[in-house]
Amino acid sequence: MGKHFAKSFGLLASVLALCSLGFAQTYGTKGYAPGAWKPEELPPELSKPKPFNTHDLSGVWSMPTKGFEKHSLTSKPLALEHVPAEMKQTSVPPPMTAWGKARLDETKVSYGPRSVPPGTGNDPVSTCDPLGYPRDLWEANLRPFEFVVASDRVLQHMQYHDVWRTIWIDGRALPKDPDPAWYGYSIGKWEGDTLVIDSIGYDDRTWLDHFGNPHSDQMRLQERWRRVDPDTLEVTMTLTDPKAYTEPWVSDKITFVRAKAAIFEEICAPSEENRFNDRVRDAAVGKSKP
Amino acid sequence: MKFKFAIYVILVASFLMLGIPLSAHHGTGVAYEVDKLVTIKGTVVDWLWSNPHCGLLFDATDEKGNLVHWGAELGNPHQMSGAGFGKDSFKPGDKITATGHPAKSGAPRMTLDHVVLADGRMLSGKGVKGNGEHDDSSY
Repeated sequence: MGKHFAKSFGLLASVLALCSLGFAQTYGTKGYAPGAWKPEELPPELSKPKPFNTHDLSGVWSMPTKGFEKHSLTSKPLALEHVPAEMKQTSVPPPMTAWGKARLDETKVSYGPRSVPPGTGNDPVSTCDPLGYPRDLWEANLRPFEFVVASDRVLQHMQYHDVWRTIWIDGRALPKDPDPAWYGYSIGKWEGDTLVIDSIGYDDRTWLDHFGNPHSDQMRLQERWRRVDPDTLEVTMTLTDPKAYTEPWVSDKITFVRAKAAIFEEICAPSEENRFNDRVRDAAVGKSKP
Repeated sequence: MKFKFAIYVILVASFLMLGIPLSAHHGTGVAYEVDKLVTIKGTVVDWLWSNPHCGLLFDATDEKGNLVHWGAELGNPHQMSGAGFGKDSFKPGDKITATGHPAKSGAPRMTLDHVVLADGRMLSGKGVKGNGEHDDSSY
């Protein structure tokens, strides 16, 4: 009995092992074609990862997300005081300073539990003001961005508003006392396979996300970008802003995949948005007659 | 304890369900009945192919015979073009049947779900992410 059991067990184990091998070969082999080339007929090199230049971030990238599901540094970006008690979140965003809270309270947002009707809020996006950074990066939920790599700089081309963010990689340091800029000032350097971007000098009129999380002109942002395979980029960022937050805000690891489409012009035109509001939206929220 | 957990699960689920329509357009969940659809037959007055929102204006007659000036809001041209809409999709006088989520205010406004043209073609902006990409969310 014991012998039979051992034999059966051995047989079963071999069959299972073979099955898993077959599965891996069939579906893990590049170039396999049902009814034609079987996996074992193909050179094994085809299935090996192709070498790629980890420092070449160039290309068009988007987030593999649904709708606007990834729209802040972390997936739970709501300030604790604006979340129902039952939904208390932990850790993110970090506690705000009194200044940060006051700035948040001034915001009238169009997303999340604090939403106000469209046309009655003060989200800068509703008047076609610049999104700033990092908020513009969350647009990759819906529209891609592009990295263009030159010898002295990396250009991040954002589709919305056709913005070109410059990241200097020529060895210069950050400016000492720059005038505020919508997209700040950025320098980058390679640490192994990771491009580390440090930025300062942000205009504090932009929001961090569409939930109205604020930042001040003291914000420092560090991004760590890595090309993990030919078609995938990852970034984590640390936002330090002692005027607005009592601790640094460390982001989730955010993934981007190579987009199929190219970047094209998509400008938010204030006159077009005004016309849309006049003719469609203001009537919806009772601001005007249809 | 189990009861508390169940309540928590229900709350989380409700919040998530609420979050899906809210995430679609700016303030959509506040201004429009996201769980209700109306269908209106009308005649196109104007088609706004504009950034960051497109708009479709059309006239319809209500059950009392009154002329009502309807308006529907849509997404960006880049999203809409990925769904088959274009700058010439509608012209004044076209007969259409528009289905969308009505304004909470009761005004004749909707956020468009889909529209059927006079020739029977249907255009829908659902699941369009932009630049020709799609997802299966309620965007």
